[in-house]
Amino acid sequence: MRIALTELRRRPGRFAPAGIALVLLTLLLLVLGGLLDGLYNGSTGALRAQPGELLTYSSDAKLSVIRSRIDPATIAEVKQVPGVEQVGGLGAALLGAQVPGQSDDASVALFGYELAPTGVPSPPQHDGDVYADRSLKAYGVKPGQTLLLGPNHYPVQVLGWVDDVNFLLQGGLWGNADTWRAVLASARPDAVLAPGTFQVLTVATAAGADPVEVAAAIDVATGGATRTVTRAQAVNSLPGIEEQQSTFNSIIYTTFFVAALVVALFFALLTLERIGMYAVFKAMGASSRQIFLQVVSQAVVITLISFVVGALLALAASFAIPPQVPIQLTAGRGAEVVVGLIVMSAIGSALSLRRVVKVDPASAIG
Amino acid sequence: MLLASREIRRSRLRFGLLAGAIGLLIFLVFFQQTLLSSLLNSFTGALQNQSATVLVYGADARKSLEGSILGPDVVAAVAAVDGVGQAGPLGESTLTFVADGQQVDVAVFGAEPGQPGQPTKLIEGRLATAPGEAVASSEDKAKGFAIGDTVTTASGGASVTIVGLTKQSQFSVQPTLFVPFDTYATLKKASNPDAVAVLPSAVAVIPAEGVSAETVAASINVSVPGVEALTRSEAVASAPGVASVQSSFAIVLALAIAVVALVTGFFFLILTVQKTASLTLLRAVGAPAGYLIRGLLQQVALVLGAALVFAVLLLQAAVAGSSAGLPLTIEPGALLASTLIILVLSMLGVAFSIWRVLRIEPVHAVTRPLMGGAE
Repeated sequence: MRIALTELRRRPGRFAPAGIALVLLTLLLLVLGGLLDGLYNGSTGALRAQPGELLTYSSDAKLSVIRSRIDPATIAEVKQVPGVEQVGGLGAALLGAQVPGQSDDASVALFGYELAPTGVPSPPQHDGDVYADRSLKAYGVKPGQTLLLGPNHYPVQVLGWVDDVNFLLQGGLWGNADTWRAVLASARPDAVLAPGTFQVLTVATAAGADPVEVAAAIDVATGGATRTVTRAQAVNSLPGIEEQQSTFNSIIYTTFFVAALVVALFFALLTLERIGMYAVFKAMGASSRQIFLQVVSQAVVITLISFVVGALLALAASFAIPPQVPIQLTAGRGAEVVVGLIVMSAIGSALSLRRVVKVDPASAIG
Repeated sequence: MLLASREIRRSRLRFGLLAGAIGLLIFLVFFQQTLLSSLLNSFTGALQNQSATVLVYGADARKSLEGSILGPDVVAAVAAVDGVGQAGPLGESTLTFVADGQQVDVAVFGAEPGQPGQPTKLIEGRLATAPGEAVASSEDKAKGFAIGDTVTTASGGASVTIVGLTKQSQFSVQPTLFVPFDTYATLKKASNPDAVAVLPSAVAVIPAEGVSAETVAASINVSVPGVEALTRSEAVASAPGVASVQSSFAIVLALAIAVVALVTGFFFLILTVQKTASLTLLRAVGAPAGYLIRGLLQQVALVLGAALVFAVLLLQAAVAGSSAGLPLTIEPGALLASTLIILVLSMLGVAFSIWRVLRIEPVHAVTRPLMGGAE
């Protein structure tokens, strides 16, 4: 072990090719992971923040918030279901917003809500007042400003910031139900809903009640007019979420595989070059296990150093990337990447085991 | 040179495995490239393969057809602009239908019969001209969208009968229907009876004869307030999802190509290191470095050539076995470009091996014990 670390310290140049490749792979993994987290959070925040464990859609909406409609009679039926504690209406409109002093419109999702999502205050008392997701700062939005929504420029005033409540990568604006209805009437006449009708319901269940059973009971009580799902199911049914997760995860797993391949090839080459030296070690009494541990420990140390450099580069890149790009670097993702890389480099370097075992100590003397 | 090819003949398994591994990686590149172009076609085929060459969106739509809505007067205002030949309303919405007993999300395009916005890749049947008729994307024929099938909105109340099929015309990778604008309005009202009006999403424009799409788009942007006119190709490129799909695939493709070069480079480097003693001896008996390098490059070319043939055969099998929902079509131009990149990068990958060969000192044959000589 000591010889392995001494070699790393004295001959760092020898390990530069593998180190550089691993730094680049770390950078790629962290940026990809950060992008995946940013895209996921930016698409799903509004639903993840819902206070109820369940979300109720109309049965003909195929779990689309925008296409769902639940009338007041159905809402009354849902409220009567045993195990239901609180029911709140929720509606959304996806629009462009003119921001004072900015030439480009911001993409926003205006919500009208009755039950406050996590981190969002109670619905504003005045029509036209909204809370804005902090990510809209990137588009020049500031508290106190008036934004003009949709083609007919419906004005809404930003009261303050809220966090992680975006929807389908559009900046979340949260106002009362009347504000949402007024915006629909102004900007989306084909999506207007009758008074008292909401797109979806957020349903909080009573303590001790099983949300899955309550969901089934709601759909029975409404005679099949609704489809009630858990918050997690609602999040996963958003368009593109599952496809996005699977695409990015395949890229990430491929990158881990490439990391193992790079380490395996590099140490195969290194072992090949040191066959003579390993023969001398063995002739002096070193075991194959000791030599093998040297190879693996070198791979792990190189990976750790490369991860630190790659993580610093990723951090620098995240500051350089325009704020509109939804990249989020988290400690959890960093931990996943470093553990994944160490495991893959250990596996990669372990492929040299066969050659190490085959080294004949007698070859040291000819 | 003879030595290089003879070595391959004698180590068929070793070189065969390498060619197979590289072939699989090249297949991965080719397959992803083919998948990308097919996927983009399924995202935006409906826009690409409709008759309007200019599309006019609301200025607040951020170049998204789904996010666009226009006032009732805009169609007439656009039609009055110099250079506009034909202009008509174009509606687009995703609605839930019941087809073959299943709920399915469907992109519905509504355009006036005879006006711009009609599908241009009709392969069976005819265009929709009467209320309640529709042309469907042919890829979804088996899902209840064959000619003569009737599909109904999930909320009930409105249905359309398929009278034609059009290829490469899906939108957002969903089954797509092209209906007359009045039928589009009926379907929208059936899906939301509370709707107070069904307005066009865009204006579909065909320029007058001799006027380019770019010129007409620029004239519309100057003359009509509150709109953004795009040429068809601009509208396709800026459709939601296109840029993110392209960039995701670009990363994977770049990674796969880099891996091909890396694997090729490392493999030949290992081979060169293993053969250093023999190569030193060859240099000592008079073989010039150029001869050894030519042999190395010949081996690389043979391995890559075999890998390419293997990859193309695999791709043809994959395309033949692709599903009707997302048919794959090989684009030779794109494949040729990536082949060239792979070849150039792989040659760069073996540069280290060339450098090792150039570093060989013939005198080591007699001075280094590991090379067969004595200190």
